[in-house]
Amino acid sequence: MSVPYRQDMPPTGGFEAIRYKRYLPYKGPSGAVIFGAFFLVSAYGLYRVGMGNREKRELLREKQWARIHLVPILMAEADRNLVRREYVALEREKELMKNVKGWQPGGKVYHSDKYIPPSIQI
Amino acid sequence: MAELKDPLPPVQELGATSGPLKSAAYFIGDRCKEFNEDFMLCKNESRAPEHCLQEGRKVTRCAQEVLTNLRAACAAEFETHWQCLEQNNHYYYKCRREERPLNTCAFTKIGYKKEIPGTTEGQTPIHEVKMPYYRPQQK
Repeated sequence: MSVPYRQDMPPTGGFEAIRYKRYLPYKGPSGAVIFGAFFLVSAYGLYRVGMGNREKRELLREKQWARIHLVPILMAEADRNLVRREYVALEREKELMKNVKGWQPGGKVYHSDKYIPPSIQI
Repeated sequence: MAELKDPLPPVQELGATSGPLKSAAYFIGDRCKEFNEDFMLCKNESRAPEHCLQEGRKVTRCAQEVLTNLRAACAAEFETHWQCLEQNNHYYYKCRREERPLNTCAFTKIGYKKEIPGTTEGQTPIHEVKMPYYRPQQK
């Protein structure tokens, strides 16, 4: 009784691949991706800050021009008020000093023709 | 002391508070430009209060006219806008929703327009920007 000769062969389809690689769990995006995302987000934020600053300057200009347009009205009104007050102050002075000889009502304290606003409330 | 008579010719004072004045500032600046500039040039000559009384009366009358016209044509819009300014620390950017109807009404009915001098060519004026960065936090 003899066993027929048979060459020992690999199984059909070949051997299974040997698992020699390390199989580690996925730990998130790579450093480059995180850095890139951070860079993009920061760039967008800075862009918005810049545009916001531009807008802020425009808002400031808007406010300044609104005030510039109102200056003449307020100034005119204040002028009329001051003229009335100066007139009344002069009349009051005339009345008070009428018994003083040689008194010049409405005399100036400054040796100048330039207009100097009163330093006290009149 | 005897009754004193007013040394100045009569002119009706504006009598408007800061809210309406700020709301109407650009319309006043638009319509009364000549009177305002004339007055300021006069003030540049001399700062004495009695030097520019005539010009000052013109300025006040012109502003009075603007306010009267505004109240006649766009009373509701004007009122809403200046009330909004009063409530919001006089910030224009917090009252754009109230400002736009006022601007369109003033322009279509009485031809007053809001123009900020010195805006860069081709740039949207700040009061017409659709999506501004600065806006009221609470809507």
